Amino acid sequence: MTTPAYERPADFDAFWQSVLDELAQLPMAPDVEEVPLRSSDFANVYGVRLTSIGPYRIFGYLSIPRGQGPFPARYFLPRYGSVSDLVPQGTANGQRRRYVTFSLSVRGQRRADSPYAASFPGQLTDGIDDPNTYIYRGIIADCCRGLEYLAQRPEVDTGRIAAIGTDLSLITAALCPRVTHLVSTPVIHHRALERAAATQAYPLEELNDYLRMYPDRRDLVANTLAHYDLAGFAPTVEANTLLIADSGANGVRADYLEAVAQAINGPAELHESEHSNYRDGTFAEVWLSERLGMDPCLPPHWQGWAG
Amino acid sequence: MTGPATAADFVTSVKRPDDIDAFWDDVLARTAAIPLDAEAVFDPLRSTPLVDVYAVHYTSLDHVRIAGWYARPANHTGQLPGLLIVPGYTMEPIIPKVWAAKGYAAFSVAPRGKLRSNGQFNPGYPGLLTYGIVDRNTYAYRGFYMDACRGVDFLLSRDEVDGARLGVTGHSQGGGLAIVVPALRPEVTVSTSGAPYLCGFMDAIDLTDGYPYYEINDYLRLNPESRQQVTDTLAYFDGINLAPRVTCPIIVNIGLQDSTCPPETGYALFRAIGSEDKRLYDYDGHGHDANNAVHAGIIDAFLAQHLQP
Repeated sequence: MTTPAYERPADFDAFWQSVLDELAQLPMAPDVEEVPLRSSDFANVYGVRLTSIGPYRIFGYLSIPRGQGPFPARYFLPRYGSVSDLVPQGTANGQRRRYVTFSLSVRGQRRADSPYAASFPGQLTDGIDDPNTYIYRGIIADCCRGLEYLAQRPEVDTGRIAAIGTDLSLITAALCPRVTHLVSTPVIHHRALERAAATQAYPLEELNDYLRMYPDRRDLVANTLAHYDLAGFAPTVEANTLLIADSGANGVRADYLEAVAQAINGPAELHESEHSNYRDGTFAEVWLSERLGMDPCLPPHWQGWAG
Repeated sequence: MTGPATAADFVTSVKRPDDIDAFWDDVLARTAAIPLDAEAVFDPLRSTPLVDVYAVHYTSLDHVRIAGWYARPANHTGQLPGLLIVPGYTMEPIIPKVWAAKGYAAFSVAPRGKLRSNGQFNPGYPGLLTYGIVDRNTYAYRGFYMDACRGVDFLLSRDEVDGARLGVTGHSQGGGLAIVVPALRPEVTVSTSGAPYLCGFMDAIDLTDGYPYYEINDYLRLNPESRQQVTDTLAYFDGINLAPRVTCPIIVNIGLQDSTCPPETGYALFRAIGSEDKRLYDYDGHGHDANNAVHAGIIDAFLAQHLQP
């Protein structure tokens, strides 16, 4: 079976440079407040508010180990939904002993939902008729702003900043060279229309819903999504990269991601999901910690892993 | 230090309060006294030629308005089995179109605090798990459990739903609710519970190292004097203590490397379930997914056997 090649829009780089330029004109204006309830004997936790394009205030949980830094950093980019966890569910909370962690809530998510509260389902098609009005334009700027803030913290070892998440981690690494390591499990923004046609599962079903209601807008939607496709971002990713492919209803298959992995400008490894978050999670933790020069940080029930 | 040889041998520390049945009978009675006042508004954007989708709201305990998504086959004849889909802790409730396409009248509830049900109550995430935790009469899950149970009332209020064929299914927090709802609503005729959360709370905070259970560790670090109150409250909400009330056919799946909802608590829960027709699927090599990629087919077949869509 042959699959159509992704066509990178001619204005792709200029489009994203304009977003970065717009962001650069706005001061971050950080507002940092300790969160005693989430702090512990091994790490202090802060709620951080920053200005992104719009202008719009976004939120992040910053956790800093007690003791002498600088520390490597893990930047957690949000998944699709209203909640961003302090550390991703299922991973070891103990990672906060050895890493600065920063978990971002982009516009529309809880703690960053005023004045814009995103709908789920709904966010995926918000403003999708035009690349300039698509909600992800602001969301991606939010991700870049969060990284900019994290990288200027004196506790952070800027030679070891890992971006971890779904599509947004790869996009952030592409737009922000401060990301040194990348772990990405893409779910939405790669050949999204084509994949949506083969599923009824949300969030991709949102695209089907939208085009069922507005069939005349297909070309507009396709043009917008081309500006947000991971394949368009891949050539500017220079981080040491792990891509995780998942053939399940909410993942991107390995044969689709192969071209993305090959287009990445740094060392890139494509790993196929074993449909076990224990196996996938442990693989990713070992992969990342080895490259950061750290011991793996595994939760108790994962510690018997033999690779 | 000595410990159990395997997760299956784990002995829970959870103690069942003597008055737990009276407590929940009272909460159920208070909820039943409030008119459901359900409204279901057809949603053309989310509907397809094969499935009708409705945005639903109804009233629950404390007069909180609760949202949900209802989906049913577009061109059905006769009555349909009802299926209540209960959500995970941080996930957004699904629009159950896939279930409707299989022939179910499917309702996916957003209990209080979830998007679209957070206008009157919104402790956030993290936050929900410890909200009001020092008193069983104020604990967040008192109303949260009722919101899920009222999903049964919503399904029973629909003319097209056959009240004799009523299922519940969920994973993670949904797996916990798939214990709670049949425990409190005997109208439920079948249930499937995956990687159940809300079971063995006080065991889990020592067995795991992650959120969401870690919210309780955070709370007790800041409020160490409240440990006994917290323990006492959670005993009324623990799925292990409600499980003896479950009598319908049920299957449970767990992952033996689940770092979110530890398998030790899954085994303890399964032993406590009152049903004669119950089966545990314990998957080695799996975490909180509890082998969903394969087990989804088992759930499909089990529900189809009992509900006959």
